[in-house]
Amino acid sequence: MARVARAEQQPAATGTTLVVVVGLGVAFLLFMAFLNVVKSGNLLNDSNLLYAALIFYSAAGTLYLGFGVTGIPSYIRFASLATWAGLIANTGAVAHRWYESGHPPFASIYEMLLSFVWTLAVLTLIAEKKYGVKIIGTVTMPVAIVGVVLMQLLRTEVHPLVPALQSTWLHVHVTLAMLAYAACALSFALAMMFLIKDKMQTETFLAATSLFGVGTYLGVLTRFEKWGGLSLVAWDPERKSEVFLAKGVRLFVVIPDLGWLMLLVLAAVAAPLALYLVWRKTGKETFIDIANRAVFVSILLQVMALVFFLLRARDGRYGSLDADGLFATSLAASPFILSGLVGSIFVSLLYLLLLWRRPDLERMLPSAEELDRITYKTIAIAFPLLTLMIAAGAYWANRTWGSYWSWDPKETWAAITWLVYAGYLHMRVTRGWRGRRAAYFAILGFAVVMFTFFGVTYLLPGLHAYA
Amino acid sequence: MAASAHSAIWKTVRKIWQTLGAIKTGVVLLILVVIISAAGTVILQRPATEADEMQRAYSPQVLRLLDWVGLTDVFHAWWFVLLLSLVSLSIIAASLQRFPNAWRFFSRPYKSTDESFRNALANHALIPVKDEEQALSVAERAFHKAGFRPEHIVRENSFSLFGERNRFSELAVYIVHASLLLIFLGGIVDALYGWRAFVTLNRGQQSSQVQMQNGSPRNLGFAVRCDGAGQENYADGTPKRWWSDLVVLDDGQAVVRKQIVVNDPLVYRGIRFYQASYGKTGKIDKLVLTATPRESAAPKDITIAPDETVPLDPDTTVRLAEFIPDYVVRDGQIYSRSGDVENPAAHLVVESRKSHQAVNFWLPAIPGFEQNASSPYTFEGKDLQMAYFTGLEVSHEPGQWSVWAGVLVMGFGLAVVFYFVHVRVWAAPVRDARGQLLLWVGGTANKNKDAFELRFREMVEQIKTELKVSSKAGAETPVTSLAGK
Repeated sequence: MARVARAEQQPAATGTTLVVVVGLGVAFLLFMAFLNVVKSGNLLNDSNLLYAALIFYSAAGTLYLGFGVTGIPSYIRFASLATWAGLIANTGAVAHRWYESGHPPFASIYEMLLSFVWTLAVLTLIAEKKYGVKIIGTVTMPVAIVGVVLMQLLRTEVHPLVPALQSTWLHVHVTLAMLAYAACALSFALAMMFLIKDKMQTETFLAATSLFGVGTYLGVLTRFEKWGGLSLVAWDPERKSEVFLAKGVRLFVVIPDLGWLMLLVLAAVAAPLALYLVWRKTGKETFIDIANRAVFVSILLQVMALVFFLLRARDGRYGSLDADGLFATSLAASPFILSGLVGSIFVSLLYLLLLWRRPDLERMLPSAEELDRITYKTIAIAFPLLTLMIAAGAYWANRTWGSYWSWDPKETWAAITWLVYAGYLHMRVTRGWRGRRAAYFAILGFAVVMFTFFGVTYLLPGLHAYA
Repeated sequence: MAASAHSAIWKTVRKIWQTLGAIKTGVVLLILVVIISAAGTVILQRPATEADEMQRAYSPQVLRLLDWVGLTDVFHAWWFVLLLSLVSLSIIAASLQRFPNAWRFFSRPYKSTDESFRNALANHALIPVKDEEQALSVAERAFHKAGFRPEHIVRENSFSLFGERNRFSELAVYIVHASLLLIFLGGIVDALYGWRAFVTLNRGQQSSQVQMQNGSPRNLGFAVRCDGAGQENYADGTPKRWWSDLVVLDDGQAVVRKQIVVNDPLVYRGIRFYQASYGKTGKIDKLVLTATPRESAAPKDITIAPDETVPLDPDTTVRLAEFIPDYVVRDGQIYSRSGDVENPAAHLVVESRKSHQAVNFWLPAIPGFEQNASSPYTFEGKDLQMAYFTGLEVSHEPGQWSVWAGVLVMGFGLAVVFYFVHVRVWAAPVRDARGQLLLWVGGTANKNKDAFELRFREMVEQIKTELKVSSKAGAETPVTSLAGK
């Protein structure tokens, strides 16, 4: 904290250092990658391009965060340039994938993430250039980085499409879904920016951060097993797929003791929330100070949990409760846990950024009214897209399964998402809901979107087994 | 007495109607729908989940409770249907209650402004002018340039301009609500009159009966025949395509022929046939054999189906009596271990018309059963084609057209709601308290107000500069000196 305080006093002195360091880092990584490429003799394939995109997005993310820590405006400009470079590489990856597979990249969760990250980068640049929301990348770039890292772990071979997926309507449906979800993500980021600009108390963000962590770790701990194990989906490295006991029944392996660690981290991320509640009750500022320190501790523990998770789930063979013998697992088998852990760390870091650098962040944002209006505009784009996405999905289902609506969990949750945004629009138009309440609504809407996208796939089985 | 009772009832009905149309009611109903349907995705649902799986997942008491409340089949429970009906009623009530106002607004546009309106309008400007007619003609040109077609509004003692665009967007919200009702209507019709069933057909088989989801049969009123079905694979062995050649027979006439694949059903009289499954029946479709007579050595190929009798020469016939895909001999009996073609055996009966003699020929020769040595022909297996069945999902959804119509209307309505702005502009000559002649210019947009504000200001600036230019051309008192005060 002391170092940061010093940096605040003399921002100009550290101005170029980070840009130079990040620039050198990018150059070094690109050079290393280039050596590899020369060896393999295959320059333009989607994994190379994706790697380049990852490097540029990481550089952009670092610079955005760097701006957050130091408050130097030139970082934003370089971050924006890095985002452009990342977008170009990402576009190349999408195009290559499309060319190679012969169908638009929407068939598997890998391809959907590819499209999602691309859309997110485009929207980030639009929000930045057109609406002047310059620090939007601080929120969206980490999401893009998590997306690309996930993609590196997931299978990348082009799989032929099973018969049910061979339909133009699928492409229409998924394109619309990706566009709509990216617009929802943007409206969420804008609503957060609005809350910052609207002088929402930093303590409230503390509680929200802690709540997010608690939610994530509770989700992870649904896989808690007896004697402190954590069960993960078994992975067949030869066939690069999950191991199935029967149709739709996955085999789980138990990693011993990892459950205890997750439980410990749950306590650590819950501590700031508890302290916040005590502060609300007693009004003593010391509790908030302790809570802020607890966030620090929780980040360390979360990183530890992530490292242990990476080390133990990456390889090794573990026993299972449902079958005899030892089975392998892989990070690719647990993409949702992984993104949850990484996401939670990012959210905590963003909170620290807000805690230390709030005035600088506020300076880089348009006025609260403007942010409120742009949030509404992104939802005005997202809502018709959501509607069309559901309609295209229904039409496809009707051609494939003989029924346009079967109340399958994914369908139901898509309808719930639609209803939440419909509620937002009605409250805004008929009740004149503006500002904070509207921002909460936009955040709720995105939470439901995330649950529909990840949660339903992970927790609720149904017909949408492809993604 | 009767009159007051009548009015009391009337009052209650009115009150219920008002409550239904209130936004609060709508929101509460929507929240209920959200909570209940979320519950329906978390709790295992009945027809989709097998009964024994339900028993494994929940304890008997809990399961009984869930069943009793209807939470194991939320989306078909009477109270969920009731809830959706209430939502529809609420939409109808809300729309009808607000519609008259909107219609008035739509059908009788406010063209000529009065003073209080002029003062209250957020976007307006007052420009000092000398000459009414000249000012109005400048304003008219500016309106034209901004894409309006201004009307001249003539009242007894005033003359003013009015221009507007996209007036219909005021009604778009009602279009969206109506489209939602269309979709609901389709859903209700399908819930009442729609059905789903299943039928499996082997090659060459036809059926006029399908099996409903509850197991009962249903007559189609026509028959459907499968002329062939198959599967194509990718190089890596994963399925690429399933197809079935279907023929619809109505009154014995083949009326429709179509090859259906996944994603492309056959439709006849509103009933749709979908490719749902495909597999082996475990039975043989055709066997290709090489038959060699014992006397002459001139072999010939024959194709034979189960129970089919094929002539070999004028005197001799052969019949495929039995085909066993995976045979095993146990206790002097022949069994099949499985339905897969692992260890096939064919039982042929060779008959001679002259001698009335039937010989059992087994391929391969199974001791104790075969009389191969006494057969006038020997047989060798050449090819074997297994019989496949095709599983067809059958559905009848008379309400779907209403749903698709609703979707199209909704797409149109939403596009208008969000992207078509009703913009209005007015210009009128007025006099201020001191009798100074001014041109009042006002404008309003029903959404995207900030963008309109910018455009409006530009328009006002344009009017101002043009007035300045034309007044200089007139070369009398400069406008600026008047505006300065």
